[in-house]
Amino acid sequence: MAITSIKNLKEFSTSNDRFEGAHLLCPGCAHSMIVRELMNCTDDNLVIGSNTGCLEVSTAVYPYTSWDTSWIHIGFENAATAVTGAEAMHKARKRKGTLKDPDAPVKFVAFGGDGSTFDIGFQWLSGAMERGHDFTYICLDNENYANTGGQRSSATPIGATTSTAQAGTHSYGKKEKKKDIVSIMAAHGAPYVAQLAPNKWKSMAKGFQKALETEGPCFINTVSACTTEWKFDPKDTIHITDLATDSLMFPIYEIIDGHELNILYRPKNVLKVEDYLGAQGRYRHLFKPENKHVIEQIQSDIDKNWEMLQRREEARI
Amino acid sequence: MSMTGSVPGTDNRGIRELGAEEKVGWDQVQQGVVLPSFEGDAADIAHQKAEERHYADFNSYTATVASWRVLKPVYNRDICIDCQNCWVWCPDTSIISRDKQMLGIDYDHCKGCGVCVEVCPTNPKSLLMFNEAEENEEALSEWPQKEKKAK
Amino acid sequence: MAKEFELNEVEVWDGNYAASQALRQAQIDVVAAYPITPSTPIVEGYGAYVANGYVDGEFVMVESEHAAMSGCVGAAAAGGRVATATSSQGFALMTEVLYQASGMRLPIVLTVVNRALASPLNVRGDHSDMYLGRDSGWIQIDAFNAQEAYDLPLCAFRIGEHLDVRLPVMVHQDGFTTSHKAQNVYPLKDDVAYKFVGDYVPVDEMLDFTRPVTHGAQTEEDWHYEHKAKQHKAIMDSKTVIDEVFEDFKKLTGREYKRVETYMMEDAEVALVLLGSSVETAVLAAKQLREEEGIKVGVVAPRCFRPFPYDLVREALDVPTLKAVCCLDKSSPGGAMGALFNEVSAAAYTTSSRPMITNYIYGLGGRDFAMDEAKRIMKEQKAHADAGHITTNIQQFSGLRGPKLGFYETRRS
Repeated sequence: MAITSIKNLKEFSTSNDRFEGAHLLCPGCAHSMIVRELMNCTDDNLVIGSNTGCLEVSTAVYPYTSWDTSWIHIGFENAATAVTGAEAMHKARKRKGTLKDPDAPVKFVAFGGDGSTFDIGFQWLSGAMERGHDFTYICLDNENYANTGGQRSSATPIGATTSTAQAGTHSYGKKEKKKDIVSIMAAHGAPYVAQLAPNKWKSMAKGFQKALETEGPCFINTVSACTTEWKFDPKDTIHITDLATDSLMFPIYEIIDGHELNILYRPKNVLKVEDYLGAQGRYRHLFKPENKHVIEQIQSDIDKNWEMLQRREEARI
Repeated sequence: MSMTGSVPGTDNRGIRELGAEEKVGWDQVQQGVVLPSFEGDAADIAHQKAEERHYADFNSYTATVASWRVLKPVYNRDICIDCQNCWVWCPDTSIISRDKQMLGIDYDHCKGCGVCVEVCPTNPKSLLMFNEAEENEEALSEWPQKEKKAK
Repeated sequence: MAKEFELNEVEVWDGNYAASQALRQAQIDVVAAYPITPSTPIVEGYGAYVANGYVDGEFVMVESEHAAMSGCVGAAAAGGRVATATSSQGFALMTEVLYQASGMRLPIVLTVVNRALASPLNVRGDHSDMYLGRDSGWIQIDAFNAQEAYDLPLCAFRIGEHLDVRLPVMVHQDGFTTSHKAQNVYPLKDDVAYKFVGDYVPVDEMLDFTRPVTHGAQTEEDWHYEHKAKQHKAIMDSKTVIDEVFEDFKKLTGREYKRVETYMMEDAEVALVLLGSSVETAVLAAKQLREEEGIKVGVVAPRCFRPFPYDLVREALDVPTLKAVCCLDKSSPGGAMGALFNEVSAAAYTTSSRPMITNYIYGLGGRDFAMDEAKRIMKEQKAHADAGHITTNIQQFSGLRGPKLGFYETRRS
């Protein structure tokens, strides 16, 4: 693979953007930060698929496309299948000698939001991972159905308010915990699975490069702070993401071959989860006295999860 | 709309408002709703700067979202250390960097989110938000002084 | 390079195996499939060719029919020949993606082994899956027997991939009656068949890195209508190419296909219009009735269900002697007259003969449609013709137990 240097940001900034402006994502949206970084960390040709979602409806509205590489969208659930269909076609045509440039390097990438990844497209993703295609699936996890106005998904954390799991006089918001998509994907035996965040640009770029270089199906969950539905000022996207990673709400780690876990970022000062929750409108109600127990539970879950990740890392299995 | 004539790649950038494109009839729309991103051979696109590429009219590069903006970032070259924080985190591909140097802002594609200002590490910041109507020269003349660190 | 498959001049194949051989000979680049009764043997047959070196392409066994068609769309957009097979519930599951394949103008071939849709669950053949696809923007061609189940997929690739068409094509055959019934089939040699189908010509392929393309963009109210109109024109105009391809196939094999097949219509007084394997039953019944009772019966069978051959159905029914026509729909219409009845009636309305037209629902869930029943319906049409008006309900059920079930009568003052 033709890798772009990510030694430092100056080096990285010499890469040539292949994701163009005048897309329709909200100001301050982390989706495009993540997509740009993926496309900038390689010089190879890309065939990209997107599930229906914010990214898709904002980057290919006729007569405009923001994609400088080949791109396909079919439905809400099937970008993994579309891209792996294209990957199969590449194999077949390479073998038969019908490609225009058989030696041109190419990587296959699918993007989905958490709605399409955790929920409606879960089966299609699982199937594509199991079949062992050479592709990378990247989930842009903003923990809700943002494209349709902020409904709950199975990625929405406990306690967050969404339009279909609302906080009110009789409710503290979503009652159920977030699905552990990283473990589920690792359990497919995928050669490379990771959870990454755009504020830690270098570990994200490294993870992207590893996934693109690794033969076989790779999965990356990225935290994509959603200014509109998490309810924070658009300028604060990176700040909020810092709070997410430094409170360990979003630990940054990778799992190789389904078992070897490496923590990629250890905050020097681990923040209390209140600092993260308090910076967003979707958690504001948790600071009422009657909901204090939810914050305690979230903190306790974070602590246990961090302990588990550290033990798995130490075990070196 | 381009306010940055010295910045590369502005020739065919932001030539029309979204939705202002010609509405052709059924016989002229793209078969299968397929949109080519470039005119001519684009095999080497990963090694080309925007100004070297031949964008198709279908590429959103040729459109502008400047009207979304209420506040705009203004860039002060004198203070900038070319750290490229603004480049890596700009969600709208609107920080123009060439040869590891920050050159300016693509005002056709910038939506004024303010992320670049927040991630700028210099003191004072090399990017600040100003009212959209304010001239850049005027904004630069009002630039704040270095802030003392609070003890 | 794929091995050549040794074939006899005459093989004894069922419809499923015949279809799988046609797919193999077309040298498909990607088959993404999920098995379902009664089309499973098509996928299995193809799997056997893959396992034994008769196929160069990729065989992707996905986790559902929705994924099968999704994989086909992704593969087709990447610029190669693509096909799959399904039936019934699987067809229903892939319906979302059927509309996307046609809107994206991707010439995928789908062999559909027709089967009833639940509920109640049923694995036998009727046309409810075929009817479910009728507004999907796919060309739909119907095979009535195993030979046709072999011939028509070969034609389908040529039709769909033609640069003037660029649309996906379904080739239908009836579950079990065609798919599992072994019949004599005259196959082409591998090289002859491939030469007829021809090399795939990529259009807007995602793997041409000199020209990156965006597939599947969104259109809202200011663009959507124009795109759908353009797509509709493509399928309406595809009849010219379908006719040309059938003509070429006749030159190659001597086997003649038309968008509408007609039997004994030249002097017909009454006629049946129907689809699928029942056509052969109806033709035999018509011949016998002509001999036994001198009733001049004809049969009209749309070979092409989509684009609906309005022109040729009208031509077939524009017979001065024709007085009564019965359209048989093998799909529960769910609160309407049968689709074939509605469409044939619309075409017949513009003829000068303006025959009386009635509708039978028949054969649901694989209920047998035999010679006696065909003859009874034909004789009923003769009674309408003799009386000068429709003597029964306009819509009736054929072969149904229980009290007679029918709806609507001719309004007579």
